[in-house]
Amino acid sequence: MNLTLKVWRQKNAQAAGAFVDYAMSDVSPDMSFLEMLDGLNETLQAKGQEPVAFDHDCREGICGTCSLVINGIPHGPDRATTTCQLHMRKFKAGDVITIEPWRAAPFAVIRDLVVDRGAFERIQRRGGFVSVGTGHAPDANAMAIPKRQADLAMDAAQCIGCGACVAACKNASAMLFVGAKVSQYAHLPQGQPERFRRVLAMVEQHDAEGFGACTNYQECEAVCPKEISVRVIGEMNRDYLRAVLVGVE
Amino acid sequence: MEGDVVSVQPAGVAKVVARLTQSSLGLKALVAVTGLGLVAFAFVHMAGHLQMFALLGGQEGYNQYAHKLQSLGALKWAARAGLLALTLVHVIATLKLIARNRSARPIGYASNHWLTASVASQTMRVTGPILLFFIIYHLLHFTALVVSAQGYEAMEYMLRDGSNLVVGDAYGRMVQAFRDPLLTVVYVLAVGLLGVHLAHGISSLFQTLGLTNSTYRPALATAGPLLAGLLTAGFAVVPLAILTGVIQ
Ligand code: HEM
Ligand code: FES
Repeated sequence: MNLTLKVWRQKNAQAAGAFVDYAMSDVSPDMSFLEMLDGLNETLQAKGQEPVAFDHDCREGICGTCSLVINGIPHGPDRATTTCQLHMRKFKAGDVITIEPWRAAPFAVIRDLVVDRGAFERIQRRGGFVSVGTGHAPDANAMAIPKRQADLAMDAAQCIGCGACVAACKNASAMLFVGAKVSQYAHLPQGQPERFRRVLAMVEQHDAEGFGACTNYQECEAVCPKEISVRVIGEMNRDYLRAVLVGVE
Repeated sequence: MEGDVVSVQPAGVAKVVARLTQSSLGLKALVAVTGLGLVAFAFVHMAGHLQMFALLGGQEGYNQYAHKLQSLGALKWAARAGLLALTLVHVIATLKLIARNRSARPIGYASNHWLTASVASQTMRVTGPILLFFIIYHLLHFTALVVSAQGYEAMEYMLRDGSNLVVGDAYGRMVQAFRDPLLTVVYVLAVGLLGVHLAHGISSLFQTLGLTNSTYRPALATAGPLLAGLLTAGFAVVPLAILTGVIQ
């Protein structure tokens, strides 16, 4: 099928960007979205032009590296699907497809469609871990965890940190991401000692990076490729307010 | 988190206040708590108005009620100060959040998609300020008696509770106001917008305050719009009853 791509091109963080149109012909419906972009880049390179920079790594929907806002929707029209798992059969011949980078002040464009997601890394460093003494690995099942709690923790731990929640949020808030990281430990015994300091520190970093605040639109949940529920935001809110009001340093 | 991981030091009061007034979650909690306070007031206010109906009070009952509120003295002023504070904190915290949210996305998307957000949630920034203007107008109208209030000052009523006190005729003023279709439309629209604001607001505040979980969330999503609708209907029924002559 034939398509028109409107792709955001930008040399670097300082340069002004703009959309550039590319006519694509003979796109197979069986191609993945990224394979289609690979095709575009081969054509561009053959013509001696700069290929379009975009992020990708595993192409299996598990690493969280791929991004792209496709026709206004982070990771494109398919629910619960990363861009790398999106296929061209979701589009029709003649479609005009707009491709933009994640848009948020803390996610500066590095080049074209690639943004700097270092802010997530810095939030993680403030509490996205548990401090445990090193030594032998404990016996499996030495610590009993109720099934329901384990499930809630595992659901939150599905987050691959791609940033689609920020891209979708009208306030460019990263609360779904932070909520997932807070919730995954809040349900486990290992997470308890640092529970309140974790939420205070991670929210502080979230704000310092310049992300917006949550208005409970729930757009983040709708685009999350791992279907993280906004219940993690409610849990984070509760832990945060408990930590603030109890007065934890 | 570095180093000592288990001990938790107490933070000073200054830190607690700073977190509530500066952080995104703290500010949002202020919006939610003040919103909850305003919602509680709105329900009491609405229930008070229902005494306009003959069955629930009529002219005598409503005027007695209004007089009782007016005679509360210091308590009345404390309540007014409290409501003013709730409104101010609600609006200021909201403005700070909006400023933060604006600067978090300096460059927008070519196409602006909404996937699941309700219309009520999308329009909080529109319904909110309109409510602010309406509240000011409403106070100038029925409390200060300076706008759309020709003749209100002179409308008086003698209580028949044995006191023979002559008080302002709150009942009569309301009846006169809503015999005017234009004023009725303005008020019904305003309480309609209040309902829209709260259709998102009531459900949202539970999430903001963390007073929800996977069990209650679906129920709260329904309860918000339901309660908001109830409030709007309760407010709107009085002016409409007056306009249609049910209350005279
Ligand atoms: C006085 C003018 C008002 C303005 C300018 C205003 C503005 C707003 C805005 C913009 C929000 C959304 C904040 C966000 O999530 O980013 C909001 C939330 C809310 N408002 Fe108002 N509002 C006003 C009056 C009221 C009144 C009269 C009530 C109650 C009767 C109310 C109850 C609420 C509630 C419950 C929320 C939800 C809090 C949350 O999301 O957790 N507001 N308001
Ligand atoms: S490239 Fe790894 S999730 Fe898409």
